[in-house]
Amino acid sequence: MKKIKKSTLAMLVTCLVLIPLTLYLGTFLSGRSYYITATLFIIELLIPFLMAFEGRKPQARELVLIAIMCAIAIVGRVAIPIPHVKATFAIIFISGIAFGPETGFMIGAVTAFASNFFYGQGAFTPWQMMAYGAGGMLAGFLFKKKRLPRNPPVMAIFGFFAVLLWVGPLLDCSGLFLMAPTVSFSWIVSYFAAGFPINLSQAISTVVIMLVFGKPLLDILDRIRRKYGMQENEPEV
Amino acid sequence: MRQDAFSNYHPAVNFLFFVGAIVSCVMIQHPAYLLAGVIASGIYYLLLNGRSGWKTIGALVPLFLFLTVINPLFNTSGVTVLFRVFGRPYTLEALLYGVCVASIFVVMMLWMGCYNKVLTGDKFTCLFGNLIPSVSLLLVMVFRMVPNLIRKTGQIGGARRAIGKGAGGASLKQKLTAGVTILGTLTAWTLEGSVMTGDSMRARGYGTAKRRSFTVYRMTAADWGMLTVLLGLLGTVVGFAIGGSMTATFVPQRSIAPVSGINLLGFAAYCIYLLIPTVLHIQEAIWWNISRYRI
Amino acid sequence: MVEHFKIQNLSFAYPTANGKKALSDVSLSIRKGEYVVLCGRSGSGKTTLLRHLKPELTPHGKRSGKIYFDGILLETLSAHDQAAKIGYVLQDPDDQIVTDKVWHELAFGLESLGCAPQTMRARVAEMACYFGIQDWFHRNVTDLSGGQKQLLNLASIMAMQPEVLILDEPTGQLDPIAAADFLNTVRKINLELGTTVIISEHRLEDVFPYADRALVMDGGHVIADGSPRSVGKLLYEQNHPMRSAMPTPVRVFYGTCKTENTEGMNSTDNCPLTVREGRNWLSAAFPAPPTIRELPTVDTDEAPAQTALSLKEVWFRYEKNAPDVLRGVNALVPTGSLFAVVGGNGAGKSTALKAVCGICKPYRGKIKLFGKAISQYKSAELFHGCVAMLPQDPKSLFVKKTVAEELSEMTGDKELQAQIAALCRITELSDSHPYDLSGGEQQRVALAKVLLTEPRLLLLDEPTKGMDSSFKESFADILTQLKARGVTVVMVSHDVEFCALHADLVGMFFDGQILTVDTPKRFFGSNCFYTTAANRMSRHLFQNAVTTEDVIELYKLNEGVIR
Repeated sequence: MKKIKKSTLAMLVTCLVLIPLTLYLGTFLSGRSYYITATLFIIELLIPFLMAFEGRKPQARELVLIAIMCAIAIVGRVAIPIPHVKATFAIIFISGIAFGPETGFMIGAVTAFASNFFYGQGAFTPWQMMAYGAGGMLAGFLFKKKRLPRNPPVMAIFGFFAVLLWVGPLLDCSGLFLMAPTVSFSWIVSYFAAGFPINLSQAISTVVIMLVFGKPLLDILDRIRRKYGMQENEPEV
Repeated sequence: MRQDAFSNYHPAVNFLFFVGAIVSCVMIQHPAYLLAGVIASGIYYLLLNGRSGWKTIGALVPLFLFLTVINPLFNTSGVTVLFRVFGRPYTLEALLYGVCVASIFVVMMLWMGCYNKVLTGDKFTCLFGNLIPSVSLLLVMVFRMVPNLIRKTGQIGGARRAIGKGAGGASLKQKLTAGVTILGTLTAWTLEGSVMTGDSMRARGYGTAKRRSFTVYRMTAADWGMLTVLLGLLGTVVGFAIGGSMTATFVPQRSIAPVSGINLLGFAAYCIYLLIPTVLHIQEAIWWNISRYRI
Repeated sequence: MVEHFKIQNLSFAYPTANGKKALSDVSLSIRKGEYVVLCGRSGSGKTTLLRHLKPELTPHGKRSGKIYFDGILLETLSAHDQAAKIGYVLQDPDDQIVTDKVWHELAFGLESLGCAPQTMRARVAEMACYFGIQDWFHRNVTDLSGGQKQLLNLASIMAMQPEVLILDEPTGQLDPIAAADFLNTVRKINLELGTTVIISEHRLEDVFPYADRALVMDGGHVIADGSPRSVGKLLYEQNHPMRSAMPTPVRVFYGTCKTENTEGMNSTDNCPLTVREGRNWLSAAFPAPPTIRELPTVDTDEAPAQTALSLKEVWFRYEKNAPDVLRGVNALVPTGSLFAVVGGNGAGKSTALKAVCGICKPYRGKIKLFGKAISQYKSAELFHGCVAMLPQDPKSLFVKKTVAEELSEMTGDKELQAQIAALCRITELSDSHPYDLSGGEQQRVALAKVLLTEPRLLLLDEPTKGMDSSFKESFADILTQLKARGVTVVMVSHDVEFCALHADLVGMFFDGQILTVDTPKRFFGSNCFYTTAANRMSRHLFQNAVTTEDVIELYKLNEGVIR
């Protein structure tokens, strides 16, 4: 074994060197440096994923597929003419379920990043990339190899908890550090509590979309995957 | 978009400026420096956005006040107790610190707003095109796809309305089904077309060699000059910061480094740094005004 | 001359085709610098053959035979050379574009090949100048017209400086003016740079006369190979269905000698290919002006039919500060007629249709459907049994997984479904996925969906776009049957030839208004530019002869002898 995969190396370097170094140096900085440290931490976490994707040298079709799913997730933010009902999360989750965790992560992360070029970047961008990406990855992971059955109620329940307990709180983290008076337990509790109603409404809208749109979208994606021999997640039975 | 002199510099110059401005605003909580940040970012934001910029600034004011006022509720340390809330002290020091945290937040929002105007998508991909070629190509493809999909969404909606399948009903359920049907058609239609996009990429040699990204932006002498100036100023600021001339603590006791003597130099460097885009913008406006009269 | 491509006994079958060959035993060679046009009906194997010439796009399947490129086996060509030396333009202008900016798209191929920045800069600049792109170099691709998009695709491929340019129905989605522009550019590349061009096309009028060679494919075989004139002759000798796709002058030429003995067929050197040649040939045939200049107009009982649709001074704009799109449209459409609206791109033709079905609400003027103002209809009654529109792109109507489900989405009435499916000739497709169908079939499924609302007024937006001649004929049959049932049809089209053949009334849309409305004969007969090729070819001798059949009939009536 002459060479270790570049992406594996990147993962190791990031986890063992870069992140500890960042955290260690962070303690020396004055002011509200924990915000910078935390942001760096998130960006560094994103690096291995991006490196893995680059290292894979994605095929043209895979690239087009990811780009289309991202664009649809972005448009899904405005496509349904009901206020507060956004299809973005549902589309990312279902893409993850159809195409597996790696692709799910990329679709999520790129959706977040690209959509901010339309709606405005902010301090929250890295967190948002991480949150959306992690959501897509979680969906891909949990539904892989039939760990969870791919039927709408299960997907809806997954969607509910994934938004409420995973994607939503991760998103909230960006403001947690930026606005914190001091990083104290009471602050964290009240901060997440303040975000809870919004996350709940997002979770409910995701449930609704999953129930109505989950099956049709999954069918469309499965058909494309089969028709063009694009990446396999698991064979259909 | 409005003409902006700073935006015409190379993306690397733009990017460096914003990284410097944003990181410094979070790291330095000295009131004088924060004030400089508020003023510089506010003016530049208004120059870039014109009248609509006032709306954003107006919306930031209540947020600023809110963040200021809630700070002492969580942070009870400080010597000067103003009053008590539910038995917990509400201190002057914590309130001042609240002002500081709130200003950081506001400055950050404003710089981010400027960043969005200056560093457009194609500038970003120019910067990172060779570093992360696949991801930046992916981004470019998404930028191309989104307007296309929005147009298609309209087309599908129109086509369905013209056969009586529009979202005519007022009920939520009808709206939801209509929206979801459109989204489904959009997905299927676009994905079926994706084969041709992939073919067109492969037909043009995608994957045959290491990609090199093409860009319309070039580093000119002026760009190098500006880059040097920005780095020099940043270096000065960092030097003074390490020297301790920008430290400020609020709780439990106020201790703020004075802005006087040699420290003035660091402060000046910081102000010049932050005001560069604004000065360039105004300078250009004046130049055009003068040259218009000359003609 | 040197051979560029040499194909030896190429056969190919798709894996799903159960051994049915998409290409069988194709052998041919293409010389350097040749301009070759490939014709054939949809499904004749044109695309399959073209894709075999570009290894990156060659479909998977069972294959035998050899292809040589420049003397070496095509498969052994390096990936770089395959990409750079063989350029390939696909049909859909939109789906081919990958990036968001014009300049970026131009450089895409060069980026993939890893060219040095200096080279890229020079080549991109050169391409932008040669193709006249400099004015929209910095634009977003979304803001371009279809014609501009396709030109951009061509330029992006030419930037890699290919030796061969392969084009697979590149103008299928373009309007006639943009298509002619595009094809002229392709011809210019062939003439000025010596690039070998292999092009497949439905719209032969603009390609056929200028090609060095024409190939005709049918069922996977190359059935004709030779100069355009000899290929035309061969098709007529064999009575091959593809002859209906030949340019008008060719059809007139052979149409006039059909009844005579085959000796007349021998003098094919005279066969005109362009309108200019056609005019000269006709002039030579009639040294003295013909005695019968006009066909007797068959005046059908001019009992004033009832008005199905009337528009009176209709004004519309999309946004408050946008310019008016409809600027006082007036029109009366009699019940049971086919009313065609022709006119340039972006003139507002489609907007007029949208106004008729209530999607665009005019701010002034009156639209009446069957004598009742459109505003008085409830949405449900308007779109059930009254009016419906077939959109330009049939794919915008597909929401289900099979054709049968698509039809069921519209109505639960099985009998009606079966009846409409039979009318649209899609009965045997009912289990297919809509996206597995060919373009013409998709169009018919979409039409069936629209017809299931049982409209009395059917609106069609560019229905013949991208259709080949045989699909057009079957589409026209369906329209005739609908008219027989009393359905009124209003269609918006660029397809002058189709309107001349099948419309009852034609109107010109210009500057937000419908200007002249008349029967096709009189409408096109009085135009001199915006008219059919048959009319342009014969107008110096005949009056109001607008279709090929008109010209042939007049020719025969006058017994033109000299040939």
